[in-house]
Amino acid sequence: MLKVQNLTKVYEDGTVALKDVSFEVPDGQFVAVIGLSGSGKSTLLRCINRLIEPTSGEIWWNDTHISHISGEELRRARRQIGMIFQHFNLVDRSSVLTNVLSGRLGYINSMSSILGRFPEEDVQRAYTSLARVGIRDKANNLADELSGGQRQRVGIARALMQEPQMILADEPVASLDPALAHSIMRHLLQINQEDNITVLCSLHFLDLVQQYSTRAIALNEGQLVFDGTPQEIDDDKFVEIYGREAERIG
Amino acid sequence: MSDKNRHGRSRLSWRTVLIILVIFLLYAYGLQVTKVDLQEPLEPRRQENLVSLLRDLAQPDFFSHDTETRNTAVSIHMPCPGEIKGTQVTIEGREALMVPNCATTTQDRIRISGEGFQPNADGVLAWRPIGATTSRRLADFKVSPDGQIDVTFTMPDIRPTEEAQKIEIVEILSRRITGLSDTTMEALDKIVETVLMALMASTIGTILAIPLSFFAASNLMRDVKAPLAGIMAGVILAPIMGGLGWWAANSAAQPLLGLIGQNLQFLRTDLGFFNFIGNFIFVLLEMMMQLLPLAIALIGALLAVSLGGRFGQQAAMHMAEAPARILTFALTIGGTAVLFIIIAYSLNWINLFGIREFLPEATAAQIKLFAIPGLVLGGIAGLLSLRASPKYHYAIGILIYTLTRGVFNGVRSIEPLMMGFVFVIWVGLGPFAGIMALTLHSMADLGKLFSEQVENINQGPVEAVTATGANFTQSIVYAVVPQITPHYIAYIFYRWDINVRMSTIIGFVGGGGIGFVLNRTINLTAYSQASVMIIAIAVVVTILDNISARIRSRII
Ligand SMILES: Nc1ncnc2c1ncn2[C@@H]1O[C@H](COP(=O)(O)OP(=O)(O)OP(=O)(O)O)[C@@H](O)[C@H]1O
Ligand SMILES: [Mg+2]
Repeated sequence: MLKVQNLTKVYEDGTVALKDVSFEVPDGQFVAVIGLSGSGKSTLLRCINRLIEPTSGEIWWNDTHISHISGEELRRARRQIGMIFQHFNLVDRSSVLTNVLSGRLGYINSMSSILGRFPEEDVQRAYTSLARVGIRDKANNLADELSGGQRQRVGIARALMQEPQMILADEPVASLDPALAHSIMRHLLQINQEDNITVLCSLHFLDLVQQYSTRAIALNEGQLVFDGTPQEIDDDKFVEIYGREAERIG
Repeated sequence: MSDKNRHGRSRLSWRTVLIILVIFLLYAYGLQVTKVDLQEPLEPRRQENLVSLLRDLAQPDFFSHDTETRNTAVSIHMPCPGEIKGTQVTIEGREALMVPNCATTTQDRIRISGEGFQPNADGVLAWRPIGATTSRRLADFKVSPDGQIDVTFTMPDIRPTEEAQKIEIVEILSRRITGLSDTTMEALDKIVETVLMALMASTIGTILAIPLSFFAASNLMRDVKAPLAGIMAGVILAPIMGGLGWWAANSAAQPLLGLIGQNLQFLRTDLGFFNFIGNFIFVLLEMMMQLLPLAIALIGALLAVSLGGRFGQQAAMHMAEAPARILTFALTIGGTAVLFIIIAYSLNWINLFGIREFLPEATAAQIKLFAIPGLVLGGIAGLLSLRASPKYHYAIGILIYTLTRGVFNGVRSIEPLMMGFVFVIWVGLGPFAGIMALTLHSMADLGKLFSEQVENINQGPVEAVTATGANFTQSIVYAVVPQITPHYIAYIFYRWDINVRMSTIIGFVGGGGIGFVLNRTINLTAYSQASVMIIAIAVVVTILDNISARIRSRII
């Protein structure tokens, strides 16, 4: 269970990216985070695993007070939360296998990771994760030899290595064509349903939201303006979320 | 609108005129200061010097020759013993006439003409000082196709003597190349030395620069923050553990060094042709033993910083507010005092502005003396620390970043020539001093370049790896290192190339390598030998330049 209370983020230049945001996510939900560009979606997701320091407010993850831990405790919390990025964020010059194995770093000690030594079962787990997203045969390729869709699958496999209880996905399909987008979303949905992993996924297209998520929360200029099922987003709500000029296409 | 435009244009043109005027004045003054003299280079004496230098340079002393020569000697007097006339000598069909046959001053012009010499042969006029075995060249000549010669020379700096001096007319009858000259052999020897010097300096410089470059990368250091208690605990522990490490390693290394010196000498003497390999191993072992205390001390200090940091962090975050405050206060006093003592002690050691005069001589007394102002400062800092919450994370990373960058920039801006000079005084003439100077400069230069590379990496993977729960070290190893390795390798070659050029300069102050020999040949005015060195440097630099460019374009 994720609990966000009165979360506010003010950047150093004074930009208020999140304003008093509160919501709860019970285990196993597939939550879409929607909103205009610049509304604070990325900031919200990154505050949850503390890639960005919240300015004020509380974040609870089960019994862990995520907003108030540091060092070793923070690492342990992070390894239960996978993250997937719009631009994949793979290490291009490393092999696919190494990229996937790096998802395991939170579990092994510094010394053996510096020497590049992962336990045998982690290597097996990496192959299994790759097989799950359908690119086991690419394990020994360099990451930059892969196509966009394949790279995002490596990103998913890397997150799976963490054996996460929650996955944060920041516009995971925004750099992919529609066909690939659906295939990536299906992988996320499958993980959500089969492994009962909570998914928090920011999305730009409402049709994807309606097709895959069970719940949507919307941000507008850093404020939570909607929290409900995707079906509840009618024309009024749409205007509230996206503003007057936006036109509904999805 | 148009009015405003016109106004703007006229201001601009005024500014242009002003700038042109300033530039004009600058050059006029510059000409005066730099003493540009267009007459000097046109003087005949100067031009003669230049021509003879260029001709010597154009005849590099590459080969050793077997030459067959024939001498015809003529006597000359200085000062003139009375009446001035000419001397005629005839030897085996060669006739030479010298007019005049004596000189009153050393600048007199004297002419030698003759016939019956070997047609078309090259030759030199030489003066053989009384009792000497070698002669000094006075002028070159070439025998005409019908066997005649006609040369004029300037009387050299001969001290006036009673006895007659000898001028030799030397014809070169035949000339065969017998092999490479000693100069060439020396050039080859020294250029190899230079290239290896440069390679070693680049390699050691790189090894030192790699860890430092991370400290000088703002994107990595920006996020390094710690509560004051952690920082100060590190500051207090670092010199203690560093010192302990030094002492322990030193007491272990000294006997080992002795053992190596006694028992492994055979490596450098008894291996025949492979002595150089034995010597290499010997020197490596010795170097390792000498560097061991330093390395252990550094590791100890780093360990202390990390331990102290962790302890302070845990304490500050988990203790109640009041005890955390007291702990921070106490650690701040101690840490500031320790820092002050260390800084004061180093300044005293280097005798900045002669402060030694005012201080007691014994170390213990000095430290006692420094401790009082240190503690006072610590007290002030401690009081200041109370203003913030003990949980507040200070951006210590930015401080480390600024210091490291500052050191890099400072060291980079010192000419390697100066460093060579200092090291020659420390470790004596020779390539070792050169290596040390180049290593230091390479380290600073590469450190800066490397850290810029680190700053230019794609931050995404670092973010992703951090998000999986990796710690700082792991995120560097898995997300930063793969991105920078190719650039680092390319820079090693780039630096090798630069070091070869620099080592030729460092040679001039005695830092070994080919520059040392070049300097010597120039001082001896042996320009045709210097020419060989210059060509060797040019060839090697060109080759290395090519190789390094090729490797760089392949890697990146
Ligand atoms: N590092 C930063 N410093 C200052 N302002 C920032 C920073 N990062 C983001 N912002 C600002 O914070 C606001 C929210 O940004 P955020 O990236 O969270 O929006 P987003 O909803 O993810 O947008 P997009 O859909 O374009 O990704 C924006 O106004 C942005 O300009
Ligand atoms: Mg975003």
